[in-house]
Amino acid sequence: MKSSGRTERLVTVLVSLWLVLFGVVPLLLLVATSFFAQDPIDFFRLAPSLESYRQLLDPGYLQVMRRSVQFAALTTLLCLLIGYPFAWYTSRLSRPARVLVLVLLMIPFWTNSLVRTYAIRMVLGSQGLLNQALLALGIIDSPLRLLYTDTAVVLGLFYLMLPFMILPLYACLEKLDYRLVEAARDLGAGFLQTLLRIVWPLSLPGVYAGCIMVFVPTMGLFYVATLLGGARQLLVGNLIQQQFLNARNWPLGSATSVVLILMMALMLTGYWLVLRRLAGRRRQ
Amino acid sequence: MVHYVRFLLLGFLLLPLPALAGGKVYVYNWTEYLPEAVLNQFTEETGIEVVYSNYDSNETMYARLKLVQKDGYDVVFPSTYFVNKMGREGLLQPLDRELLPNLAGLDPQLLDKPYDPGNRYSLPYMWGSTGIGVNTAVIPAGEVTAWEDLWQPRYERQLLLQDDMREVFHMALKIKGYSSNSREPAEIEAAFNLLKKLMPNVLLFNSDSPRLPFLAGEVNLGMIWNGEVWMARQENPDIDYVYPREGANLWVDSFVIPTTARNRENAHAFINFMLRPDVARLCVEENGYATAVLAALPLLAEEVRSSPIIFPPAETIAAGEFQSDVGEALPIYQKFWEQLRTGN
Repeated sequence: MKSSGRTERLVTVLVSLWLVLFGVVPLLLLVATSFFAQDPIDFFRLAPSLESYRQLLDPGYLQVMRRSVQFAALTTLLCLLIGYPFAWYTSRLSRPARVLVLVLLMIPFWTNSLVRTYAIRMVLGSQGLLNQALLALGIIDSPLRLLYTDTAVVLGLFYLMLPFMILPLYACLEKLDYRLVEAARDLGAGFLQTLLRIVWPLSLPGVYAGCIMVFVPTMGLFYVATLLGGARQLLVGNLIQQQFLNARNWPLGSATSVVLILMMALMLTGYWLVLRRLAGRRRQ
Repeated sequence: MVHYVRFLLLGFLLLPLPALAGGKVYVYNWTEYLPEAVLNQFTEETGIEVVYSNYDSNETMYARLKLVQKDGYDVVFPSTYFVNKMGREGLLQPLDRELLPNLAGLDPQLLDKPYDPGNRYSLPYMWGSTGIGVNTAVIPAGEVTAWEDLWQPRYERQLLLQDDMREVFHMALKIKGYSSNSREPAEIEAAFNLLKKLMPNVLLFNSDSPRLPFLAGEVNLGMIWNGEVWMARQENPDIDYVYPREGANLWVDSFVIPTTARNRENAHAFINFMLRPDVARLCVEENGYATAVLAALPLLAEEVRSSPIIFPPAETIAAGEFQSDVGEALPIYQKFWEQLRTGN
């Protein structure tokens, strides 16, 4: 007994140490850097300054923020529209079929997402698979411009993020008591009514979790905008990457990251409030 | 106590192992700027293993070097204006000429330049230009002869531009008749205003391997380095290189050894090897840029030596402008570059 308690303590200490070392400390450094002044030669100067946050209010940066939120929102919506029916039907399959579908969903994840983004390029390119197929079928006469468009960016983000929407939805829908659906049907509810008044409200925790898991990382996937969008217009992830790697303006890069983290915190708080309200309602 | 010791041991295991120096040289170079065969040959002849990595802009390379406090790259290839900046900031160590006997073969015209007087820190590797790439199968030869032509409305959403601030500003500054190394805020702003009008024509920014979108048929017109066209022509001879009327952007990239280098002698051995005429010849023939090693020129195949893509005529060189440091004007460029890219 005693030794297992010790192991437990050791594990706790190691995990906490890991989190502090690689989570809390870098985060604090990031927050601290965002309040320093920029320096043309070093990455920052040890002088307190709110300049970076003021710079973020420049119309150019605000526009980047707005664009990024739009892209992320559109991606989240698409993922939800496709992911919800997918998760629902998967949760209704027989057990072996369910496992098979989930494994198929996960397999692409064994490949690095950067490699998969390059793969999308090969599909969407002027001489890519999609254009070749459409030309061969006689649907179009000249190749469509698909690559280096906003559509390509959203498509790429959607493809990369879809499983992050499906998995929490599936986890939620799988636990749903199907007798509730049957009861609704017995009491004369149609498909739409069952969906909107029974299934949807019960799956809300999954919907929120999925949306957060898609929306937040989407804001940071800078290479998708670069590789599929032609780097013509920057998203917030590109901005952070550029401030750190090219412009060497660490305070501004940090401030942008802090804003992203705050947005994420806000969304998580919202999620927590919703969960609490749902739990409260159920208890009544 | 025993646990405490175990814990300490575990901690030590997490520390990075000391680098196994001796048989290695860490080379950090532009993408596609050195044939792999040359690296292999170097290892075969000297037994020194080359650890090779790439960057796609001077800015990225510089930021990376600044981050490394010790045990960093041994040989890096900055452009002129970065040699000067890095030397000034103490990032480079003086070269030891005793270890570089092959430097005798270098072109004197590329030595002792203002960016590194007396070649204290750097020796030239290759030089080349940024001009216009055209796929003549789609855009007839002769239709595009100047930077200005890229602004024509008929090329809407068709251009490839380098993802490089100084290169993009070069075009607009030249059209306006200014120096592409201008430090005048008013001139830089005028160039920015002109570039804003170019943005609707831009399809993508790329300075990794600008020939790839040409070969993939994504673009038929855009900014490109001469060597990239040379390489592209091996696969598609329709791709041609135009020296723009207003003047191409000329650049030199140099070997330097950072102060943080971990294998100083191997770095010198590597540079000396690269300065050998037979090695320089391989680099020219594969990558399509002009070498600084004069003694390599007689070794080149006739079609390489006579190619205007690699070796432009004297008047083309005279019309172009070599890049140099813009000093305190850099943040001005940076600010406008960001505005250009954030959709303003």
